[in-house]
Amino acid sequence: MEMTKTFFAYLVSRSWRATLHLFGFVGGSLSLLLISIKSLFQRPFHFQLFVEQCYTLGIRSASLVFITALSTGFVMALQFGYGLERFGGKLYVPKVVGMSIMRELGPVLTCLMLAGRVGSGIAAEIGSMNVTQQIDAIRALGTDPIKRIVIPRILSMVLMAPLLTVFADLVGITGGLLISLTELNINADFFIYESITSLKLTDFTLGISKTFLFGLLISVTGCYYGLNTKGGTQGVGKATNHAVVTSSILIVIFDFILTKLFWILERH
Amino acid sequence: MVKRSEQSTILQLRGIKKKFGDKLVHNGIDLDVRRGEIITLMGGSGTGKSVLLRSLIGLEKPDEGHIYFGGQDIVGLSESKLVEVRKRVAYVFQYGALFDSLTVKENLAYPLRAHTQMTEKEIHEKVISTLTKVGLEHSLDLYPSDLSGGMQRRVGVARSIILEPEVILYDEPTTGLDPYNTKQILKVILQLRDLGATSVLVTHDMHAIFSVADRVAFLKDGNIRALGTSKEINETDDPVIQGFIQGESW
Repeated sequence: MEMTKTFFAYLVSRSWRATLHLFGFVGGSLSLLLISIKSLFQRPFHFQLFVEQCYTLGIRSASLVFITALSTGFVMALQFGYGLERFGGKLYVPKVVGMSIMRELGPVLTCLMLAGRVGSGIAAEIGSMNVTQQIDAIRALGTDPIKRIVIPRILSMVLMAPLLTVFADLVGITGGLLISLTELNINADFFIYESITSLKLTDFTLGISKTFLFGLLISVTGCYYGLNTKGGTQGVGKATNHAVVTSSILIVIFDFILTKLFWILERH
Repeated sequence: MVKRSEQSTILQLRGIKKKFGDKLVHNGIDLDVRRGEIITLMGGSGTGKSVLLRSLIGLEKPDEGHIYFGGQDIVGLSESKLVEVRKRVAYVFQYGALFDSLTVKENLAYPLRAHTQMTEKEIHEKVISTLTKVGLEHSLDLYPSDLSGGMQRRVGVARSIILEPEVILYDEPTTGLDPYNTKQILKVILQLRDLGATSVLVTHDMHAIFSVADRVAFLKDGNIRALGTSKEINETDDPVIQGFIQGESW
């Protein structure tokens, strides 16, 4: 009985702390986003910092996105190839692979990979700057950490997440094509023709439009946890962990919400 | 740098109160900092010296009270309005707080690029001349990680003084440094005083306090317990202050 009470008290305490943390995160990150939007239209503009971040966060993630998309294309083609073969539906592989990569797997897997690589990188870098007083130094030198640190990262992610997703879509479908050729005996011309004719422009745009929001979520979450890092190197580790977990969860939740919303819009 | 005139007050603190949770750090501090002097804030750990120093440049906001810089209350100012104050009041961080992704030259050029219209050639010359003041003119292309702790602090001092501020706030500038680096930093502080700059130091280093400070303020229990010249504080018969100076119980 005593143990049950202790366990219940522990659960309540943990839930209360988690709720406070959630409200702190929602309020803090929204406030950070609003301040960033306001600062975006005020001089000075740090275009060079934006370009640097596009390279660091975007271009340098291309190899990770390539490997993820290629193996996803391989696996999708293999699974659907063998699965549909049992029902005589192997010829539907190009349609299924193309549509699932364009609409869902390309955007979501690319952005989950970015949440791991970029979200953790942003939180760790800003967190380290915070605990070594470099953020205070930016302020003390009469400059604005929002303009110099936060805005370039948010803008670059909002731009680079969709571009990397386009890249992932192409690589993923190419992966599907390679497996179809080598393992499923599906002709390349047939695969390409079926993929192109079965996919609609909306399949592509719906997938890509999600990634603007995912890029925003990854960067704002990383910046929020980085700027709120406390407690030295241990704090940096915690901030990094929170940034990856939170942005991954947000991507999955908002993926469902947006998919449902688009589904309703498509039906009307 | 401004002309030294010990009569006028450059910074005025009135009724500064600050709490962190239940801990009362400042309980109505009043202090006048005179133009051109070196004033040291002395006191034990946790007495709020660094918090007070950070308040002078708007990095912390007091819960109550006013801080007047050149007659203007800076407590309620927004970050964008504090920029003008921060061009005239510099802050030297305890461990330098250098930007570790930038070279020494880029660290020093940072405030010049942000606040002046200097050409690259002028920036280069200004960086060299400022680094020469701290004896590090040959470290231009090194990164902070290539420098010793003492050198990092000297670069931190150089970066803070490059815009020729009227007031320089030093947070533990010599703590943990070897005698050579300590001497170099104290030399710079005295040189800047001779050029008319006002300095506010937070330090535990007794040698630093009594060798450079014109006045010393002793903080205890959220307030200034004693304020006087270095000599007056050193010779006070207040047992608490003497206990602190002698490194005994206080």
